[in-house]
Amino acid sequence: MVEPGAARTCRRPREPERAGPPRAAMNFLRGVMGGPSAGAQPSGAETIQKLCDRVASSTLLDDRRDAVRALKSLSKKYRLEVGFQAMEHLINVLQTDRSDSEIIGYTLDTLFNIVSNDLEEEEQEENSQKQVDDLGRQFTEIFIKQQENVTLLLTFLEEFDFQVRWPGVKLLTSLLKQQGPQVQQIILVSPMGVSRLMDLLADSREVIRNDGVLLLQQLTKSNAAIQKIVAFENAFERLLDIVTDEGNSDGGIVVEDCLLLLQNLLKNNNSNQNFFKEGSYIQRMKPWFEVGDDNSGWSAQKVTNLHLMLQLVRVLVSPTNPPGATSSCQKTMFHCGLLQQLCTILMATGVPADILTETINTVSEVIRGCQINQDYFASVNAPSNPPRSAIVVLLMSMVNERQPFVLRCAVLYCFQCFLYKNQKGQGEIVSTLLPSTIDATGNSVSAGQLLCGGLFSTDSLSNWCAAVALAHALQDNATLKEQLLRVQLATSIGNPPVSLLQQCTNILSQGDKIDRRGSKVQTRVGLLMLLCTWLSDCPIAVTHFLHNSANIPFLTGQIAENLGEEEQLVQGLCALLLGICIYYNDNSLENCRKEKLKQLIEKRIGKENFIEKLGFISKHELYSRAAQKPQPSFSSPDHMMFDHEFTKLVKELEGIITKAIYKSSEEDKQEEEVKKTLEQHDNIVTHYKKVIREQDQQLEELKQKVNTLKSQNEQLQTAVTQQMSQIQQHKDQYNLLKVQLGKDNQHHTSHSNTLQMNGIQPEEISKLRQEIEELKNKHEVLQGQLREKDSVIENMKSLQSETGTNEQSSQITAGLEHGNELHRELEALRIQIQSQSLDISKLQSEKQELLQQMGLFRTTPYCWGKAKNTASVPALGDSSAVIAAKNSELEGRLLQEIKELKNDVKALSEEKALLKQHLDSVNSTVAVLQNEKSKLQQEVAESKKEQDDLLVLLADQDQKILALKNKLKELGEPVEDEDDIESGDQGDEDEEEEGEEED
Amino acid sequence: MAYAYLFKYIIIGDTGVGKSCLLLQFTDKRFQPVHDLTIGVEFGARMITIDGKQIKLQIWDTAGQESFRSITRSYYRGAAGALLVYDITRRDTFNHLTTWLEDARQHSNSNMVIMLIGNKSDLESRREVKKEEGEAFAREHGLIFMETSAKTASNVEEAFINTAKEIYEKIQEGVFDINNEANGIKIGPQHAASNATLAGNQGGQQAGGGCC
Ligand SMILES: Nc1nc2c(ncn2[C@@H]2O[C@H](COP(=O)(O)OP(=O)(O)OP(=O)(O)O)[C@@H](O)[C@H]2O)c(=O)[nH]1
Ligand SMILES: [Mg+2]
Repeated sequence: MVEPGAARTCRRPREPERAGPPRAAMNFLRGVMGGPSAGAQPSGAETIQKLCDRVASSTLLDDRRDAVRALKSLSKKYRLEVGFQAMEHLINVLQTDRSDSEIIGYTLDTLFNIVSNDLEEEEQEENSQKQVDDLGRQFTEIFIKQQENVTLLLTFLEEFDFQVRWPGVKLLTSLLKQQGPQVQQIILVSPMGVSRLMDLLADSREVIRNDGVLLLQQLTKSNAAIQKIVAFENAFERLLDIVTDEGNSDGGIVVEDCLLLLQNLLKNNNSNQNFFKEGSYIQRMKPWFEVGDDNSGWSAQKVTNLHLMLQLVRVLVSPTNPPGATSSCQKTMFHCGLLQQLCTILMATGVPADILTETINTVSEVIRGCQINQDYFASVNAPSNPPRSAIVVLLMSMVNERQPFVLRCAVLYCFQCFLYKNQKGQGEIVSTLLPSTIDATGNSVSAGQLLCGGLFSTDSLSNWCAAVALAHALQDNATLKEQLLRVQLATSIGNPPVSLLQQCTNILSQGDKIDRRGSKVQTRVGLLMLLCTWLSDCPIAVTHFLHNSANIPFLTGQIAENLGEEEQLVQGLCALLLGICIYYNDNSLENCRKEKLKQLIEKRIGKENFIEKLGFISKHELYSRAAQKPQPSFSSPDHMMFDHEFTKLVKELEGIITKAIYKSSEEDKQEEEVKKTLEQHDNIVTHYKKVIREQDQQLEELKQKVNTLKSQNEQLQTAVTQQMSQIQQHKDQYNLLKVQLGKDNQHHTSHSNTLQMNGIQPEEISKLRQEIEELKNKHEVLQGQLREKDSVIENMKSLQSETGTNEQSSQITAGLEHGNELHRELEALRIQIQSQSLDISKLQSEKQELLQQMGLFRTTPYCWGKAKNTASVPALGDSSAVIAAKNSELEGRLLQEIKELKNDVKALSEEKALLKQHLDSVNSTVAVLQNEKSKLQQEVAESKKEQDDLLVLLADQDQKILALKNKLKELGEPVEDEDDIESGDQGDEDEEEEGEEED
Repeated sequence: MAYAYLFKYIIIGDTGVGKSCLLLQFTDKRFQPVHDLTIGVEFGARMITIDGKQIKLQIWDTAGQESFRSITRSYYRGAAGALLVYDITRRDTFNHLTTWLEDARQHSNSNMVIMLIGNKSDLESRREVKKEEGEAFAREHGLIFMETSAKTASNVEEAFINTAKEIYEKIQEGVFDINNEANGIKIGPQHAASNATLAGNQGGQQAGGGCC
């Protein structure tokens, strides 16, 4: 018997030559056919017929067994004969001799040889292959005609005996290969047919288990019902176990077979995908992608295994799956770390190019349309120095001519998937192009720079990829379409910068002048797709495009020309672009209004012609292929023409544009009008809504303003009262000072002993006046005294001259001189007192002024206006007229109220200003008062001092007079009125002293 | 998500009785008013909690149409629980219960827990099968019974959860061989160890720890 290991290690060809015909069979053949030396050889057919007869008629099991064994050994060389002649007998053996596993084994082997094409594949010539296929199919048909044969075969698969089970597995596999659907159906209806086959995976003999996997591969091919039953029978668990046990990607061909079976079970089978996800099997895929640092020297088997593993991931997140299913798998792949693992491979070194390419494709579909995964992808950095984002590193490959074509396609796909339904990502990419964010240092390359570089490189493939990539950054994103209009390009030194939009058009129109690698059509198709995406649904971009007067003539020129087939696609795209310029035209440019452009088409191209050219796009053979799936996959670089998303745009716009072109200008106008009135109504409503919203806001603001003004006013009022009390304080202080002044005066003059200060100014003043009056009186008295004393001195002089001795006379002379001096001094004093009284009168007048100013200051009672915010917003009516009326009424009312409020506010602020003025003037008055007060104080102090001096002088004089009198008495001269004078003086002096003591 | 046990269920019964609706109500809390004929089998899953333990239910909703019978029979063997559904507004669906039950008993493992469900209890006015009849049938055949409405969600949770409780109890009693996945029961990965004692009760069958 064949050792199991052999079959496993060299499975292709499926069955190795199982030794030559066994010895027994050889002997038997010699017997029936005669030896090689025994003359004429019987034909194969004859021999086979004899053997068949033996199988059918022999009563001895050994005989039958030998005959079957002989048939088996002939079945390869005489496949046709054995098949036709022995089939029936072999089936009979299966039914009757099932107790003998050996004969059953030979029978199954023979049947396998008849049915299977595997063996002869290598031997047969190419041209006869078809014939062979037919042979296998015909014999299969004969075999399965009786369904019981298959059911019978299924029972042999349950036999544990290796020599029965193994050939049984192979035969059934072959039958399935030849007539899949029919055999599947038979198995499906036989009770537990599928379930029983699942037991093969549990067979401890690896050959059977491995061939069981192959059988299940055939069994599950494109049959959802069977796939589900197999999954129900825990196939996922078992297959994943085998993969793990065999060492994941390092495992042998069994791993490959298991992966293929898993793919059969999951591909396009949503129920099974759901089961796979719910069974937490996605988590078990993660270790598959844990590759080491050293990725060189991978075996072919490892590459194959990894390839299939990646494809299995893609099956679960395919864009063609139901959206909900894909997105839940995508999330699981992020949460279990599978995506992160894939990204590690993406950035690892030494990974074979085809694995890298497939990894990129896989990452693409794992992130496509799934925000958290896209965000994660954007954060992945390549382990370079300085670190670059994975996106930038990938884009560098996309616009690098030396990279393999499939890799560049994969990168483009990855970029597209990153941007798919990812406004955030789109914004990030576009922002790297905008003037404000461009890294001026030029240290790091940005995605935007790479895309621009690709767009304008001399490699048409780079042009196409960059254009499509950029179009995806704008897809369904009106904001970015507008923002990208701001991008200006520095072309050559000395020339002004050109907008990105214009530069694209320039290259289109001058494309032929530039020497490019690859196809010119490719570049132009790429740029036209970009422009169509950019301009569609973006009237501002259309206006920008139309603004350059060269653009429309270029388009019409292209469309109108009768060009070769090569150019038809470009013509179609030009027609589409022109159509977009019409459909998304907001008529903001007088020369390029919708109807003008339509007239232009009619005149220069013709409507029919235009529509025909437009139709070139969707009729192109490459169009439908691109429309099938999002992944850009092209058999050759020349076929890289259409982008999947763009085909959607074409589908959407083709009909609309055709309609728009055929519409008469009347209809157009009518539609326009309807649209306009509708828009107007909408606009009116939105306008009024806006107005109301704004006015609401204004009202709110004004209310707030009124409130702040109110509180400000309150503050001011308290400030005013504070100031008033301050003024009062100042006044009090002033009065106090005056009282003190009065007291001081009392000390020295004894005039004002009855004065009472009470802070009321008029009284104060009158008192001051009184004081001054008294001072005056005092002066008069003093002067009178002085005069008296003068006369006394005069008298004494004359007396002296009458009596005079020398001594005496000299003394008297001296005394007289002294008297004269006194006299002069007195004179001076008098002058001083006069000036003092002048000062006092001045003070008085100043005081008067002060009083007047004080009178000016009065608090004015204020009447604050109240803001009436009672406006109510009426509900919007159904008809726009009612709305309009109500709105205008409302607007009026609101305006009125706002006006009132404004007036209120104005009045308030005026009042505020007035108050401020008052405050200021009060403040300055206070300052003036204080100033004057200090002046007065000074003057009072001065006059006090002068008085003191005067008093001292008077006292001196009195003393001198007394001395003179005494001298005169000594001299014997009678002194008249002496006592009177003295007593009078004395009395005065006494009084003064008493007053001082009393105080 | 981690679970202590995983139970496989099947839902069987005549076409149009509301099997798919019951599943949809249980997994998505939605009702589908249009009869979307099930082709073959559809899969659904949900996590429930019993006795503080997380239990994952994997449910296969089968087609009731006769032509799919051979396919749907393949699912009996590996299921731990079955919801056998009839429509209380259609007596024929009740009359067919015997056939369904025979079929189920023949192809399933003997321990399979069967819950009899009289669905569309919201259509009281069109009722053709009395609740007592359902109860009697269940009693007679050793089934659990419940009337449900996939439309109002009445008793839907209970139907699925009570079935799980019954299975859970059978496990506790040691009736189920939890180490044979063909019974439609699987022990959660991290619970393998803690269930060693349970396995021990069943007559010393291994299962020994097995976590490391
Ligand atoms: N009023 C009401 N209608 C229900 C209820 N359950 C199901 N239906 C309706 O019954 C019809 C059939 O429901 P399905 O769940 O598709 O029936 P099914 O048993 O899955 O049928 P098959 O897939 O053919 O086996 C649908 O129109 C449902 O809207 C219910 O509880 N109340
Ligand atoms: Mg259904």
